[in-house]
Amino acid sequence: MVAMMHNPLRPAQPLRLVNAPPSASPATAHAIIRVEDLSIVFDAPRGQVVAVDRVSLDVMPGEFVSLVGPSGCGKSTLLNAMAGLERPFEGRVMVAGGPMLGPRPDVGMVFQQPHLFPWKSVRRNIAHGPRALGKSKAEALRMADDLIEMIGLTRFANAYPHTLSGGMQQRVAIARALANQPRVLLMDEPFGALDAQTRAVMQDNLLELRDRIHATIVFVTHDIDEAILLSDRVLIMSAGPGRILRDLSVGLPRPRSSAILTDPAYLALKRDCLDLIRTEGRKAFEQMEAVT
Amino acid sequence: MSTGRHDPANAVRRLSVLVGVLSVPAFVGLWELVARSRIVNAVLFPPPSTVAVAVLDWIHSGQFFGDVSASLFRVTAGFAIGATAGIVLGILTGEFRLISSLLSPLFHILRPIPPIAFVPIVILWFGLSETGKLFLVVWGVFFTVWLATHIGVQKVDRGLIRAALMLGTPRRQMLSEIVLLGALPYIVVGLRTAVSISFYTLVAAELAGAFAGIVYRIEIAQQNMQTGQVMGGLAALGLLSFVADRSFAAISERAVWWR
Repeated sequence: MVAMMHNPLRPAQPLRLVNAPPSASPATAHAIIRVEDLSIVFDAPRGQVVAVDRVSLDVMPGEFVSLVGPSGCGKSTLLNAMAGLERPFEGRVMVAGGPMLGPRPDVGMVFQQPHLFPWKSVRRNIAHGPRALGKSKAEALRMADDLIEMIGLTRFANAYPHTLSGGMQQRVAIARALANQPRVLLMDEPFGALDAQTRAVMQDNLLELRDRIHATIVFVTHDIDEAILLSDRVLIMSAGPGRILRDLSVGLPRPRSSAILTDPAYLALKRDCLDLIRTEGRKAFEQMEAVT
Repeated sequence: MSTGRHDPANAVRRLSVLVGVLSVPAFVGLWELVARSRIVNAVLFPPPSTVAVAVLDWIHSGQFFGDVSASLFRVTAGFAIGATAGIVLGILTGEFRLISSLLSPLFHILRPIPPIAFVPIVILWFGLSETGKLFLVVWGVFFTVWLATHIGVQKVDRGLIRAALMLGTPRRQMLSEIVLLGALPYIVVGLRTAVSISFYTLVAAELAGAFAGIVYRIEIAQQNMQTGQVMGGLAALGLLSFVADRSFAAISERAVWWR
């Protein structure tokens, strides 16, 4: 709390440490995602590995938050815990007031790979969630058709996933996750496997989409430009064990486009992020060298 | 410039087609010639014309239809029961570790024993009844399909399972749709292998003693020194097995419909 207030960088850019207890911020009462003292430990051949180490964070409703860090820093593990796919070793994850004990339909997930059901057409892939939740076939398909129109794939409604490009498949995966109208959408490097051009288009699409869906989004990436362009807040994680190092607010105006990539405020933010990540990356690399 | 007529690759292709068309007739002709030339004993090695007459007699006697339907029933019923059990148990052992721990060791001990070796005990248990014959075919088909399904279930893309979990897919649909269809390409391969295994075990089952069936007819003909009838039976069995394999290949291409 004290450290937060006296942070010399804070007036210039809204930068704050997040290692303070979650109750420190008065707004946490309304947080849609609360991660409290979360630790996740994996069994590895050489003993246990701490993937996430006593992480606490809050995400406000409607916020777009990115988790950034070097590979192996536990950002995907943290996201999986928010998804209910990973159980806490210590601490807890609350979404919309309830603990995440397993996957929940009000929390959607988009993975790095689209993971579309290969035996279902685009339409039926998107209708899968509503059907699973007990909607009638007609209603599920109607919802699917609306989403297909939103992602601009009407022409491919009856196509099978393997006939689509990687970018199109990932758009279908996003639409499929949105079909359950989740309050929280988790995205695990969703554009990481796409080429640079497709990625830029997908980022623009997501910015547009976001204005229409009103979901809270937590987005994992190792691409700083992507994180700053899309987010309200960027959480920078440190490597092994995974901790949150900095919590940067991105005060850039919306609606945004790739034009902000040359904005001085943007560049200052990016420099901060890069410095932090470079130091962390080196630390992680040296740690790995020391182990082997 | 060479025209298509003189293109050497084209010429080889035409020749290959011609040779392919003539292959079987040439073989049958040679067989007829050798069998009639008294180089070999025509009683033991009858010419194809004698075989054809034997098959016609078989059809006219009215036994042909009964024999084919008896064999066909044993193969199809045995295949259906064995394959269904194999798929259901394969999904259970592939998906649930506890069930796998209980059943897999047992199946792995029983699986390598050739099904034909069970003929004596099957006769002790079931006599010459249809149940015994079905048992042998089911036994042969089951292990192949079970293993293919078990492996297929374990190879289902974990990403699909996680995606389905995140979408709120209920447990039952997870097994009946995501796991089953995810493993389907493997299951289909297992089923196709099981088609030929069902014919192997059919032969063993009918040789052990039956009252009708293609292999039963072959055995009776052998005891009566009707070599032509023996060969006719073999041809009928070969044709039936060939048609079964081909139709299954056609079905299996459509079974994995999204490819």
